[in-house]
Parts: sequence; structure tokens; C-alpha cells
Amino acid sequence: MEKPGLELLQGTLDLLVLRILAAGPQHGWGIAQRLQVLSEDVLRVNQGSLYPALYRLEREGHIAAEWGSSDNNRRARFYRLTKSGRRQLDSETQTWSRMAAAVARVLETA
Amino acid sequence: MRGVGSVLRSLPLRLRTLLERGRFESELDEELRSHVERQVEANVRAGMSPAQARRAALLSFGSLDAVKEECRESRGVHFFDTLGQDLRYALRSLKRNRGFTAAVVLTLGLGIGANTAIFSVVNGILLRPLPYGEGARIVSLRHDLKETNAAGIGFSPVEIEDLRRLSTSLDALSEYHSMNFTLLGGAEPLRVRTGVVSSNFFDMLGVGPLFGRAFRPDDEVHGAEPVLLLSHAWWLQAFGGDPAVVGRAFRMNDRPHLVIGVLPPLPAYPDENDVYMPSTACPFRARAAATGGRQARMLSAIGRLQRGVAPEAAHAELSSVMSALAGELGDAYLTPGTPSVAVEPTRELMVRTARPTFLILLATVAFVLMIACANVANLALARLLDRGREIALRAALGAGRRRLLRQLLTESLVLALAGGVVGLLFAVATQGAVVRFASRFTPRASDVGLDGTVLAFTLAISLIAGLLFGTLPGLPSAEQLARSASSDDGRLTGGPGRRRMRAGLVVAQVALSFTLVIGAALLLRSFAKLQAVHPGFEVENVLTVRLDLNFRAFLDAEGRTDVPRLATLHESLHERIAALPGVVAVSNAWTFPLNARFDNDGTVQLEGRPPGGPPVRAELIGTTPDYFRALGVPLKQGRFLTAADRGTESDAILVNERFAARELPEGALGRRLSYDGGKTWRTIVGVVGDMRQAGLAEEPKPSGYLPFSQFPGVSSSLIVRASLPPATLVAAVRKAVHDLDPDAAVSAPRTLAEIRHDSIASPRLTAQLLGLFAGLALAIAATGLSGVLAYSVSQRTREIGVRVALGAAPGDVLRLVMREGLSSLGLGLALGLVAALGLSRLVARLLFGVEPTDPLCFAGSLAVLVVAGTIACLVPARRAVAVEPVQALRTS
Repeated sequence: MEKPGLELLQGTLDLLVLRILAAGPQHGWGIAQRLQVLSEDVLRVNQGSLYPALYRLEREGHIAAEWGSSDNNRRARFYRLTKSGRRQLDSETQTWSRMAAAVARVLETA
Repeated sequence: MRGVGSVLRSLPLRLRTLLERGRFESELDEELRSHVERQVEANVRAGMSPAQARRAALLSFGSLDAVKEECRESRGVHFFDTLGQDLRYALRSLKRNRGFTAAVVLTLGLGIGANTAIFSVVNGILLRPLPYGEGARIVSLRHDLKETNAAGIGFSPVEIEDLRRLSTSLDALSEYHSMNFTLLGGAEPLRVRTGVVSSNFFDMLGVGPLFGRAFRPDDEVHGAEPVLLLSHAWWLQAFGGDPAVVGRAFRMNDRPHLVIGVLPPLPAYPDENDVYMPSTACPFRARAAATGGRQARMLSAIGRLQRGVAPEAAHAELSSVMSALAGELGDAYLTPGTPSVAVEPTRELMVRTARPTFLILLATVAFVLMIACANVANLALARLLDRGREIALRAALGAGRRRLLRQLLTESLVLALAGGVVGLLFAVATQGAVVRFASRFTPRASDVGLDGTVLAFTLAISLIAGLLFGTLPGLPSAEQLARSASSDDGRLTGGPGRRRMRAGLVVAQVALSFTLVIGAALLLRSFAKLQAVHPGFEVENVLTVRLDLNFRAFLDAEGRTDVPRLATLHESLHERIAALPGVVAVSNAWTFPLNARFDNDGTVQLEGRPPGGPPVRAELIGTTPDYFRALGVPLKQGRFLTAADRGTESDAILVNERFAARELPEGALGRRLSYDGGKTWRTIVGVVGDMRQAGLAEEPKPSGYLPFSQFPGVSSSLIVRASLPPATLVAAVRKAVHDLDPDAAVSAPRTLAEIRHDSIASPRLTAQLLGLFAGLALAIAATGLSGVLAYSVSQRTREIGVRVALGAAPGDVLRLVMREGLSSLGLGLALGLVAALGLSRLVARLLFGVEPTDPLCFAGSLAVLVVAGTIACLVPARRAVAVEPVQALRTS
């Protein structure tokens, strides 16, 4: 039985993508899979919407892409984190944690 | 809005995407498809049928085309598409509005062109390093004696050697002096200005020859064959740029001189020399070293600082070296006074007089460009309001505010760049004149050119101008757009903010142009004063000619100048010239009047004056008896020199009024003075009127006049007063000279009127240029004022119609419009006045006989602005008066 998926908050997709790539280079489909597995299918990402995010992150220089061969020798475009992406991930993670903690505090005490 | 930085950073990727558009598309397609394929496989593995698997995969992916479009957007593919669209749209729209486009491009073109031209000079002379390998370390030395206020007494050959040996702050030192010699071997004797230097001079500067070789140490030893290096300019002028001149020998000072090389183009510093020779080749220098000893101070010194040594440190070190020598040597050193060696960076000396002029001109053209930008901003604003419906339509069709703004900005930048191109053409066309103008101020004019820095400057100011007038008008609010779309004429009504901005721009234009007009008025008045200065002599109908004899031909048996023979030659020459029809008086002197380069100021002693007082200074000039008659200088006391004041018997000298009044107010006639420390004494036999010898702006110096026949130079000036136009005498004078001495060089024939005219050419050109810019600024500001008012009238046509219909008289309408225009004018004038009072101090250095706050200039400029401004307001105001109420009401 499928659980009802959660829509992603604006801007969180970037953070998750960066986090997944921090573990190592990955192609688009792989990223989508990891996203689903890691969130235990809670987070629902329209798979197509992953790509514009990847292209934007690439333009901003946070990730870099190159063609390589994946399992069973198929061509795939691999994305990896750049130095600026690592910095971005750190600062975004912090922001996110503070945000989440603050929201949680408000919800508990109000 | 994202920063410009991130746009720039992502530009390479965007460009690559643009250039490899096909590859981008195919890769995007491949990537997305392979994603779907993988998902299909995964779904099959999970137990779906292939058809089910594909459907589920596509469903979870979303619309492939939509994703692709989003990816393109993310990657910035559209950046260039949009740019292309915007550009095409801008060009179309500008083509439709030819009048607007032409006005903007021309106004900006003039502003940008003037800025480019002036900046090219500032860049060439003030910003670029000297075209020497070691330009920053090259310094000029000046030998001063502190207590006696003797500045620049020069160095003797012995002292140059001393400094070379003892100084620790210089790593190279060269002597320098410049002389005129006669070069024989061409069609007629040529007078060549010769720089005499040490053999290390060009090595020290870091300059190699264009052709041939540079000087070597063995060119500067006793008995070495004399060699010449040609300056680039003279090589072009005299030999048409023929490299074969290297290796040719010319006769000079009765010896063959071998041309060993040609120099590259260099600043005409220290002088505009035609050729250079090593010190041993100069007969005067050789004689001074042999006979003059320590006191033969005829040389300048140019050196190169050790790395890391500041000019001030070198000044202290060299001064102490010289003081120590003076202490050791006592009387052999010279006159009283502590020696001091000033060390001035050569680069600074070259541009010192040019800097204030060109910085003021740069500020002026910057003002002109600002006024032009304000005008264009107002035009753009008016146009924007007219385009309300068009913009509203585009907004309704889905263009976002950012997109609309970007479109407007693209248009402004296209206009500004077109203006930049026009400005560049303007600068190219005026380059020759600009370089000639600059050459009146600095020897570095040859470094002026339109190089990369200038082009970058032009591009930068074009873009800044475009951004400025493109963003100032801003974008109307959605509400305003909606209103204009539904109005009948499709116009936007400028809100109060926009009206204030338009008025503000006009006020700024008026203020800036008023400031410029005041500046120009000050310089023009200053020039008029300079022009009106009476130099102390009559310039009309006088011809001057430089005369350079072959010095070797006038040496006696002991190798000294043969004074009697030289004196006789000049006397016979005067007889021949005096016999020419139309000649009134003929004379010779060491120099010609208003020669700013001549400086023979020195200390003299007065008989009976106890030592220890302030030094008595006088400029000494050798003149023949008719000198003052030829120049029309009055005799004030005593007598002129006569033909009898010759030989060894006469001790006569004349002084000018200034000397007599300053030093001998009790009576000058019969008093005696000495210019050589008391060895010889001369009796004052007459007092003559003051002459401005060094320039119209320079006060006459206290001067003494010696009989030329006792001190006849081989280089002198012939001064001839005629009853005919003096220029007609040149050929006859030249013939008279060559009949007597075929080896004499006759050069630079000029009338005194021309000399006077040329001597004030730089202040005249500066004043004219500033006047031109101020006029331009005023014209642009006046059209601006007129245009804004006209626009306001056109917007208020209906209101005016209603007023007239309700019985307003033409006078009321006129007042209504004029009040609006004149209040802008008045505010602008008030602000301009404040600015001018603050800024006019900056031109003080360029002014002669005029205070920077000269009331007449301020009042005159005010009158000009008021008249021009009133006329500018009257044109639209009269149109308002002509409004027919019926028609006005019908148009709405």
C-alpha cells in the first residue's frame, strides 16, 4: 500500500541532490532512486523535475557533469559535487537544521 | 535579481551551450530517454508487463517536452535567444523612430567622442609609463645654491665625474646639453639641434636604436671619430625615413660625422633634438672640459636611481656629496651658497605643465557627457510615456516586468554603443589635432594614441551612459500601464515622480552647463587680458631669423673664438641687409623676444654695494646698436649702445627700467656693475624700457644689455624692422647671408607678430576648446529645457484648452508655462553658481590677471544662461498660447 507522498518544499530538492552527490558521483536516474530509497518513499519527486534542478546546479557551478559508462556499459551523464557545491551543501544544511529546529520549537511550545 | 557576477561566471557555459546547441539538444534527449529506459527496466524487474512498465515510467517522469524546456531554461539557453529577440526588436523600434535615434546617437556621440579624445591625451601622457625601459627611475638633477637663490646653475664636466664616482643613490648618470650646429653636405647648410650626451645615455634610459647601433663607451674617448644618432622625427623630415642614411658621413664643425643609427620615436625631452652626439664630439664641451675646470657649469644631468631609492633620498645624498666637495675645495668651487641637488622624476617634469590643463579638460568633457546623458534620459522618458499602449500590450501578452525592463535596457545599450561608435569615429578624426594641441604642453605628445586602454574607456563610458539613461526613466507600474492601454491616445501619464525626475534632470543640465560657461568665461577673459599685454616692444613689421655660423671657421690660432672677425662679419651683413629696399633697421642679438627657452639670468655685483645683501640678479643679453630701434623699445635715460662700443676699450652696458628702479633708484647712469665676480666692471650708459623677454605672462626681468660686437655668438637672431610686410624679405635676407658666408645656416624665419601669436597659442587653444565645450553643453541643456517644457505643454493641451475656453488670456497661458520652465532654470542657476564658486579655484592655475571668482565673468555667464534659457522656454510657451480651445478639447 502506498503512503501518500509529501510534496517537496521549495528549494529543498537542491539540498537533497547535493547531499546525495556528496556520497559520490551519480547519474540522474540513480539520484532519483537514492532519493526515494533514503526517504523511505516518503518524499515524492516528480522524476522529471529533477533534471531542471540538476541543470541549474550545474550552471551555478555547484555540480559538474560528464559522460561516462555505467553498469552494463551504458552511456550515462554522471554528476559530481564541486568545491563550491560542497560549500553550498554545508551552508544549506546548517540553514535547514536551524530552520527545522525553529519550526519544531514553535510547534511544540505554541 | 541575480548578481552580475554570477551571470559572468556562468557565461562560458552559456556560450558553449549556444555554440553547441545541436549537441546540447541531443545530449539532453539522450539523458532523459536513458532515464526513462532505466525506469522501464526497473518496473519490468518489479513484475510489470513491458507496456505497463513504459506507461508507469513516463507517468512518473512527467511531460518529456516540458522537462526539456525547463532544462533549457535552467541552462540559460534562452539567454541568447532572448538577447537576439531583444536586439532585433530594439533595432526595429529604433528604425521606426529615426528622429529620436539620430538625436540620441549624435548627442551621445559628441559627448563620448570628446571624452575619448581628451582621455587619449590623459592616458598617453599621465597614465602610460614612459617609453623608456627604465622610465620610472629616470630623474633630472638640478644644481642650486641655497643662500643666493641661484637655481639650476648647471654642472661642470668635472662635477659630473665627481657625482658618478661618489654617488651611491644613482646607478647611472649622463650629462646633457643641447646646441645648434650646422650640418653641411646637403642641398643647403642645415641647422641641427644637437643633444650632447654621455655614451651611456640611451642605455641608461633603456632605449635601443631603430636601425644601426647605439653609442658605445669607445665613442666617447679623446680622439674618437665623431658619431651621430638621428632622432626619429628628424630622420623622417630630413631623410624621408631612408634607412640607408646609416653609414653616411656629414660635415659638421669642420669634421666628418658618421651617422651610426636612428632612434625610435621618443618624447622630445629634454629638448626637441634633431641629432645626438657623444660629449667628446662637441667642440664647446671639449673646450670647457679643458679650460673651464670646475666652474664651467654648462651641463644638465640626467640619471637613473638605484632600485628602491626614492628621489628625496637621492636629493639628500647628492646634496651632501656636493656640499662636502664645496667644503673641501673652497674658492675653487665657486660663489657663496650651499649646493643642493634637486632630484626630479623626469616623467613628472615632462607633464607638469600639461596636467592641470588636461585634467580640467577631462572634467569638462565629463560634464558635457553628463548633460548629454540627462538629455537622452529625458528623451527616453518622453518616448517611454508615448509607448504606453505598446508596453501594456506586451505585458498583457505575458512579458514579465523583468523582461520588459530588459527590453528597454537593450534598446538603451544599443543606442549608447552606436553613440560610442560615432564618438570613436569623432576621436579618430580629431586625433591629429589633439596630438598637435598636446604637443604644446608636453614632450610626451608622441605617446598619445587610441590604444586598448582608450578603447576600453570608450566602451565603458558608452555602457555606463546606456545604463544611466536606460534605467533612470524606470518602468511604469502595472496600474499606469492599464490606464494608458484604455486611454484614447495610448499614452502614459507621467506620475508626479516622473515629472519631478524630468524637472530634476533639466535642473542638473542647467547647473552643469552654467558651471562650464563660467569656466570658459574665466579662461576667455584671461586670454583676452594676456592678448592685451603690451610686451614692451612693437611687434608689427619685424622679421626674426635664426643665424647659425660654422663655429670652426671663426676660431683664431689659439682655438678661441675670433671676436673681431665675427664682429666684422655681422657688421658687413647688417650693411647688406640695410641696403635692401624696405628695411628700416637691422640688428643681431643672442636671442629673439618672447623666447621662453632663453634663460641667461645670473647674479651681478654692483660697485659700492657692501657684500652680504640680497643677491642682485640680471638677465644679460648681447645686442647690436640698432636692436632697440628695430624693436621700438624706448630709451628712458642716457644713450643707446653705438657702433663705437666695440673692441676692448668700451665698458658700456645698458640696463632696463626694472633693474634701475629695483637696484639703483638713486640713479643708474654712471654706476658700474660686474657679472664675473669683480674681474671686469661695466658702466651703465643708458636705461631702456622693459621688455617681456620670456613670455607675455611673465613679468619683465631686471636685465642688462651688452654690445654684441664684444660677445658675438656663432648662433644668434637677426632682427629686421621693415616698412614692407616683413615676410617678403626672407629670401633676400637668406641670400645676403649666403653671399657673405655660404656655410651659415639660416632658419626659422618668423615675424614678431607670429612669434607673439604662437607664444600664447596654448592658452588660446585651451580657452577656445573650453568655450567650444561650454557652448555645446549650453546648446544641449537648452534643447533639454525646451524639450521637457514642450512635452509638458503637449500633455496639458486639454487643460490649457479648458482654461482658454473659461477666459484665460494669452498672457495667463504664457505665464503658466514660463513659470514652470523658469523655475527649473532658476534652481539650476542657483546650484550651478554654488558649484562654480567651489570649482573655479581649480582653474586658477590657468588664469592670467583674472580672479577665479571674477564678478564680471560670473555676471556675464549668468546673462548668457538667462537669455538662452528664456528663449528655450519661450518656444514651447508660444505653442501653448496658440492652442485653440475647440481643437484642444476635440483631440481628447
